[in-house]
Amino acid sequence: MKILLVEDDLDLGNGIRVALVDQGMDVTWVRRLDDAARALESGACDLVLLDLGLPDGDGIALLARLRRERRVLPALILSARDALDDRLRGLDGGADDYLVKPFALAELLSRVRALARRSYGIEGESIELRGLSLHEPTRRVRVHGTQVELSRSEFELLSHLLKRADRVVPRRVLEEHVLPGGQSNDSNTLEVHISNLRRKIGEGYVRTVRGIGYVIDQAEAPASERP
Amino acid sequence: MIASAAAWRARLRRWARPTLLRRLLFAQALVLVLLWSLAVALFLAEASGDDLYEAHAAHQAVLAVAQNLADQPARQYDTLHAFDLALREGYGAKNDPAAAPGILVRQAGRLIYKSDGVPAELRNTRIGSAETMLVQGRRWRFVTRQSAVSDTRVTLVMPGGGWQLWLTFNSRGYYLLPLMISIPFLLLPAWLSIRLALRPWRQVGGEIAARGPRDLKPLSFAPKHEELRPLVDSINAMMRRLRESAAREQSFIADAAHEMRTPIAAMRINIEALLARDRLTERQNELLSSALSSSDRAERLIGQLLLLMRSDTEACVLPAETLAFDVLVQDRLAALAHLARARGVELELAAETGVSISGERESLMSMLDNLINNATKYSPMGSTVTVGLRRAAGQAVLTVADRGRGIVPALRDRVFDRFFREPDQTQTGSGLGLAIVKSVIEKHGGRIELEDHADGSPGLLVTVQLPLAGPGTSA
Repeated sequence: MKILLVEDDLDLGNGIRVALVDQGMDVTWVRRLDDAARALESGACDLVLLDLGLPDGDGIALLARLRRERRVLPALILSARDALDDRLRGLDGGADDYLVKPFALAELLSRVRALARRSYGIEGESIELRGLSLHEPTRRVRVHGTQVELSRSEFELLSHLLKRADRVVPRRVLEEHVLPGGQSNDSNTLEVHISNLRRKIGEGYVRTVRGIGYVIDQAEAPASERP
Repeated sequence: MIASAAAWRARLRRWARPTLLRRLLFAQALVLVLLWSLAVALFLAEASGDDLYEAHAAHQAVLAVAQNLADQPARQYDTLHAFDLALREGYGAKNDPAAAPGILVRQAGRLIYKSDGVPAELRNTRIGSAETMLVQGRRWRFVTRQSAVSDTRVTLVMPGGGWQLWLTFNSRGYYLLPLMISIPFLLLPAWLSIRLALRPWRQVGGEIAARGPRDLKPLSFAPKHEELRPLVDSINAMMRRLRESAAREQSFIADAAHEMRTPIAAMRINIEALLARDRLTERQNELLSSALSSSDRAERLIGQLLLLMRSDTEACVLPAETLAFDVLVQDRLAALAHLARARGVELELAAETGVSISGERESLMSMLDNLINNATKYSPMGSTVTVGLRRAAGQAVLTVADRGRGIVPALRDRVFDRFFREPDQTQTGSGLGLAIVKSVIEKHGGRIELEDHADGSPGLLVTVQLPLAGPGTSA
């Protein structure tokens, strides 16, 4: 995976670079906005990690430029600003995710992988997770190689959860944005869809967090927790 | 009984409190009394002055009557009496000898006429000069003149000087009565008009009193009056300065956050990159892990400190909004579930829907984060933190129940103090989490309680009550 890292702080930039390289990723590290633009022109990359406050401008400008050029490139903002307004500004500006400094390496890796999975989905590749594979363009889902037929709602639910693996997606989000008809669904509809989905793809993927939402874990659940 | 006595005392105290209105009325009444007293004093001085000397014509007239009718005593008496009455009437005191001049007429040493009430003993030692004498407990002033052609002497008597006159004057209510009549007539309209005139003033006061301690918006009431405008203008200017300083402080906090977080992030990622390599000895691993946990602590401390500072200034700047608290709770729990799971703790929520409160989103988020982080931190592995949200008596009631070892009752108040940490603490923490929680809850007009579980099982039950948003907003 080729990653463009735009971060002006020397210690932080180098730390992230080394950590990602150690994970087998290909990292190009630049410290200025114009260097970042040049790097984007010269070579393809799969993902941008972007600091917002750069010496020659705001990282949002780079996102705006990508959008103008209609390039589909997942971007993860790394920022020390954690106010809601800052997050919204970043996400509205075209970023796919927002991570507040300081962050744990595990968190960074998890977000990077999730974004990479999403971009594969967009570009026609499958999202793979523990024997489960989902191909967005053809809407095909396989479990350990066997194709399963999912309804539209079930497919949307699975796709939404899979792209955000390891993150608990609140029930409200699933009800409002994934199921047809929005919030007007009565509270059981979501459970029914999830239970159908589980029946089709097998237990052990979609985990319930009671009253809160659902999550698909990247790592397999400990044996003791399996239903 | 006791309560009503207390109520009366309170009412009395309220009445005793000085007011400008009362001050104005008192001043007006005082000036009125002073002016009236002055006028009376002047009048009395005039009346009791040396008009005995000035009443020359009266003397002459009496002398003439007494002389000319000396041979007809009956007519002489009648005429003198008529004159006497006329004189008294002239002084406006027909029937009171003590308030009006009187006359004594002597011919050849014999008293031939005496005004009513005037003692016969009054006799001047010298002709033509005023003398004062105390007779029958009263003071009398009198002057005697003698006819140039006969032995007729006329004594003009004035009742005893100024003081006597004053007493008489008073006893007839001439002093008090006008005051008692005029003061209500003058003061009641004054009271009404002052109250009316001060209404804009009360409006300003009312608006200032009605707003919360953190509402720094300019006053909406813009008085047209010359006297009030400087006051309102300077209050608004002060509000603006406070608002600006809060905004400055907030942007300083944001900058400080940025400056401090970047080096900590760098420290952390470098340690973690090193830890992720598998060529480390156990000793190196241990040292790096404790460096990582220190960086963790510094990170949390700074984060909490900034939150606390921000929650102190933010409420002045950010307006409260009506927000769906159940949705916020669900979102925050979803965001924190991963971290809880990493600690081996499950989160669970049982929430009523449509619970709306009025508040400031970010500070409520930090309150929830702190409560839930605390609960997961002190929970044993494999346990569940149960969060509940329900409506009760106009309040949104949030409960967070964990299965940790709880907090001993003696420390339950102190854990809200800044930097207070429970002794024999095994978990790391900033000591600011609950201080933030408390500050946020207080700002939203709510309260928090720490309790044991009702069934006596180990763990802590945190109950937070926040006022529901006004009726109609919770659909």
